[in-house]
Amino acid sequence: MASESDRAPAAAAGRWTDMSASTREKSGPDAGQQTGVYVYGIVPGDVQLHSGVRGVGDPPGEVRLMHSGNLAALVSEVDITNPLGTPEDLQAHQEILDAVVSEAPVLPFRFGGALATEEAVVEDLLEPNHDEFAAALRQLEGCAEYIVRGRYVEEAILDEILSGNSRAARLRDRIRGADPDATRELRIQLGEIVNNTVVDKREKDTRSLLAEMKDHCAASVPRTATNEMDAAYVAFLIEDDKAGEFERVIQDLSDRWQGRVELTVRGPMAPYDFVGTLQDA
Amino acid sequence: MTVMQSGGSRGPSPTGLADVIETILDKGLVIDAYVRVSLVGIEVLTIDARVVIASVDTYLRFAEAVNRLDISQEKQGLPGLVGEMQESGARHKTKGMLDGATDKLREFANGERERQGARRGRREVD
Repeated sequence: MASESDRAPAAAAGRWTDMSASTREKSGPDAGQQTGVYVYGIVPGDVQLHSGVRGVGDPPGEVRLMHSGNLAALVSEVDITNPLGTPEDLQAHQEILDAVVSEAPVLPFRFGGALATEEAVVEDLLEPNHDEFAAALRQLEGCAEYIVRGRYVEEAILDEILSGNSRAARLRDRIRGADPDATRELRIQLGEIVNNTVVDKREKDTRSLLAEMKDHCAASVPRTATNEMDAAYVAFLIEDDKAGEFERVIQDLSDRWQGRVELTVRGPMAPYDFVGTLQDA
Repeated sequence: MTVMQSGGSRGPSPTGLADVIETILDKGLVIDAYVRVSLVGIEVLTIDARVVIASVDTYLRFAEAVNRLDISQEKQGLPGLVGEMQESGARHKTKGMLDGATDKLREFANGERERQGARRGRREVD
């Protein structure tokens, strides 16, 4: 299992967002403002960007860097009166960040964050948080996030559940061929057993995945399952020189789970799961 | 089967929009509310499909899947094609809620964006 210390890079992240409130007066948005400066993430100041990278919005603003100290923010101008959030916007946000991570560390921001002006990016975001951002970037240097997701193969997992639970098997036998309306209660009981067993198996299989990966990752964060058939859903922070090792571990596990769980891996990605989740709620 | 999907600049990857949503709307740093400007449309982009809230519907769906399992096992003697069609049909019906909800969006999202790159200054050789 991932321990708290596994998540060291993220430990301070939650505080970052609370630090700049006192500087608000300097650069609050003007009434009637039309544009804002959209922020994708923070990178070391020596990163260079290709020109012509298109950002979010319609028309998309060109992505550029705003420097302060040893840091730079990836930003683009955005029309704040135009709705944001098309599939193109979402993909642009992620692709811009993921493109950076194979070259340089990056602190990815959640989708939808913008400041009023370029000055605000420097004065309210980069300057007040400079040292924390820089420290986090140092910790993330040479690492990328990979998301491993396992999905149960439905027939295999149902078979496994029915053969391991005699009560479920008996319910199945009573329901089979019977009038669905007459067996509604029984079907609910059976479904509840299946559901609870899937939840148990997910916990166990997630633990197995974490145990297999324990010595091959810098950190790990289990994600909340978002599909009934999720067998495991975990974000791993992997050092670049261990990417091959990581792939082998996953391949071995995939072979072992063949026919029961289908594993997919996404990455390398920016370390979204390792910069802390923000509580401004 | 493992599918290695590459992200970043190592190769193009039309990632599913559901995966994108679960990542960039739910993870990452958030700019403090005091200095952030409001963007139109952002407030409706929340992840409300945080699954797996088990309900009677879920249970009935699972029971139905068990029932289909029995049927497909009984029909194993039929020509392969029939069995296969039944299986794939069953799988689609029990796909998760989030998948279902975002399938439509994904159709739009799969148009590949131009690859976008960044590189680091001190590592460049001219």
